[in-house]
Amino acid sequence: MKIAITADGADLEAKVAQKFGTAEYLLIIDSDSGNFQAVPNPGASGQRGAGVQAVVLAISKDVKTVLTGWCSPAVRHQLTANGIEVISGLSGTVGELVERYRKGDLQKGVEAEVEPAAKGRRIDKFTLLQAARSAARQFASLLPILIGVVLLIGIFNAFVSEELIASILSGNPMLDTLWGACFGSILAGNPINSYVIGGELLKYGVSLFAVTAFIITWVTVGLVQLPAEIAALGRKFALVRNAISFVLFTAMAALTVVVFNLVTG
Amino acid sequence: MRMLLFPALVLVAYGILFAVMPDKASMGIKSSGNIILNMLLPLSLVFILMMVLNLFLKPAQIVKFLGREAGIKGVILSAAAGIISAGPIYAWYPLLKDLREKGAGNTFLAIFLGNRAVKPFLLPIMISYFGWIYVLILTVFTLLGSILVGYFVGALVKVESSLPSRGK
Repeated sequence: MKIAITADGADLEAKVAQKFGTAEYLLIIDSDSGNFQAVPNPGASGQRGAGVQAVVLAISKDVKTVLTGWCSPAVRHQLTANGIEVISGLSGTVGELVERYRKGDLQKGVEAEVEPAAKGRRIDKFTLLQAARSAARQFASLLPILIGVVLLIGIFNAFVSEELIASILSGNPMLDTLWGACFGSILAGNPINSYVIGGELLKYGVSLFAVTAFIITWVTVGLVQLPAEIAALGRKFALVRNAISFVLFTAMAALTVVVFNLVTG
Repeated sequence: MRMLLFPALVLVAYGILFAVMPDKASMGIKSSGNIILNMLLPLSLVFILMMVLNLFLKPAQIVKFLGREAGIKGVILSAAAGIISAGPIYAWYPLLKDLREKGAGNTFLAIFLGNRAVKPFLLPIMISYFGWIYVLILTVFTLLGSILVGYFVGALVKVESSLPSRGK
């Protein structure tokens, strides 16, 4: 059976990390064979969603039990809902804990800490509060960039005139779509920013073809994050996916506007 | 704190602009203020939608199935996972890498990445700018496009040849 222990380091001498979501490593140990694997925790930097990522990691590694110093009620909820037992309040080195776990020490001492699995979809005060909290976090994380974008549009509005924009964009649907797709492919970030930029550009008479291509490629094609995609999923996958996405989503943008014009007359 | 860098730079630009061309700077602030005023209602809807979706959707559970199912079911699951996946894309790469090592096909990974463009909780903002008919059509074509891209990528990139390095 596989157990996961949050740890400060990548070996059995490492200390148990005190927080599940932001531990440096998850040591995945097969309690029968003693084999172990150190997996860097994708959420170690403490950014938003750190807990969920560690949960997904634990699930994907088929972990049955998590041993940790502390884990938040929300994360515990997620883990137990997926049939993973959580034993917290632990300290010491990873090696010691594995020994204690094998002897059955841990299971006895902390029975009260183990939540019954999956209570179903009841919405109680706790889940409501959790949902509101994570919505607030999601919201707070998109605000700084959004405000930056809006302020930048303000400068743009103060300097740029419709005539200038019209002189850059030809009014030829094909070329406009291509321009929009190029800009959308270079820029990236939360899609909300592309809606605001695109919506404001419409007011300058930029064609819907250009704006649609801009919005659709903003997320689907990412030159800025290409190095990260190559590192994670391989050069060939990343290059082929971005190239095909550029072509197909540009076509989808054009189709969207054609259909929209047909529907609205 | 990296995400504060961009707004901070814009504020610096405003500072300079106020010193050099104060009338342009106040024009900029005024039009930014108008944009924000127009967004207040849709933004509050965004917040409510985020909360409702958090109540009912559990990304961790869906992502668990990514790559374990093939065929139509796999397509639907990876599209759904992409749609409900929140947060910056960088946070998802390590997981996608891990899922692929466990056998998730390139088709499904590409479908997941394409569907990140469909964001239900942002619909109020999109509709406030473009109207619901446009948003509906765009969403349908985005879904369609991401599935097509998925199949092309799956056909062109074979799993073996796409691994960055196999020295483990």
